[in-house]
Amino acid sequence: MKSIERYHPADSFLNTDSFPSVWCPGCGIGTAVYAFIESVREANIDLDKIAVISGIGCTGKIAECLKLNTYSVTDGSVVDYAVQLKEKDKDLTVAVFLNNADFLLSGAKDFIDAGKKGADLIVIYVNNFICAISENKIFPISPFMRMSIDNEFELPYNIPYLAKSCGANYVARWTPIHAGWMKYSIIEGILKKGFSVIEVVSPCLLYNANNGSIQDAVDRMRFYNDNSEIKVGEPAENLDLRSQNKVIIGKFVDSEEKEGRVQR
Amino acid sequence: MKVEIYIIKERCKGCGICVEVCQAKVLELSEELNSQGFRTPNVKNPEECLNCGMCEMFCSDFAIWVSIETEKVGV
Repeated sequence: MKSIERYHPADSFLNTDSFPSVWCPGCGIGTAVYAFIESVREANIDLDKIAVISGIGCTGKIAECLKLNTYSVTDGSVVDYAVQLKEKDKDLTVAVFLNNADFLLSGAKDFIDAGKKGADLIVIYVNNFICAISENKIFPISPFMRMSIDNEFELPYNIPYLAKSCGANYVARWTPIHAGWMKYSIIEGILKKGFSVIEVVSPCLLYNANNGSIQDAVDRMRFYNDNSEIKVGEPAENLDLRSQNKVIIGKFVDSEEKEGRVQR
Repeated sequence: MKVEIYIIKERCKGCGICVEVCQAKVLELSEELNSQGFRTPNVKNPEECLNCGMCEMFCSDFAIWVSIETEKVGV
């Protein structure tokens, strides 16, 4: 068996000093990065004309591991930074990796603004159902009926519905086991004008451990496979993560640029 | 068809997904550990490999890949 001498096909995109990566075995962030690299390669985008922006936390480490024009910016200003970067250079392809802290805790206003103005971004939102500073507290995307230590609970957001209602032209949702579909979704999102949102449902392995969640990576992948259902074109109202037995995945919105919208 | 399977053992975290998704049962988890203490995959029967690329797709650490044209791989 040969190893080390040759290079991975994605190594020209990777900052190989940062490997082995910080993500846990079985985490969906690595799959999202793989799908993104493959989609950039298949869409034949000039590498000088692409920018990747990420925030904080595990998702923020994506900026460190890619050898592209990457920016790891502060909590809450990720989408705003991306919008202004796109405004400066219209030819740039701007990809944004978001997690819960960047999006729902402090950056939600920028996300809604960018969708309303039709900023030409692709947002890959890795939904891991946690926010590490609030392990024992309740936050907007807590899984349904998870109680805090004070027996409080909150209903989670419906992210594809939120994205659609604030004007996204392309909305999809996948799990890590659907890496091939995710790749083609990212290609479509990159090539589409307007705001594209792709949600990756990938619950954190570490912080959900107390709830009896699956820790083993292989069992986790089998769980994603058994508990997801592809329904392309499903109305976004039905995509709640609480009122369904299976996670509905697929491409939900694929519309053209709306007329009369102010392009930023 | 001669397919080469490459594994960078130092990047591997021993999750076992590549062993599980391989339809041709090419890989197995070996007993030897890498420097981080993870059990790395081993190529059991390389003749069976179909070059489907599933192990490469699901490896979130970029540690395994398959290739037919060995000379064209590289940066």
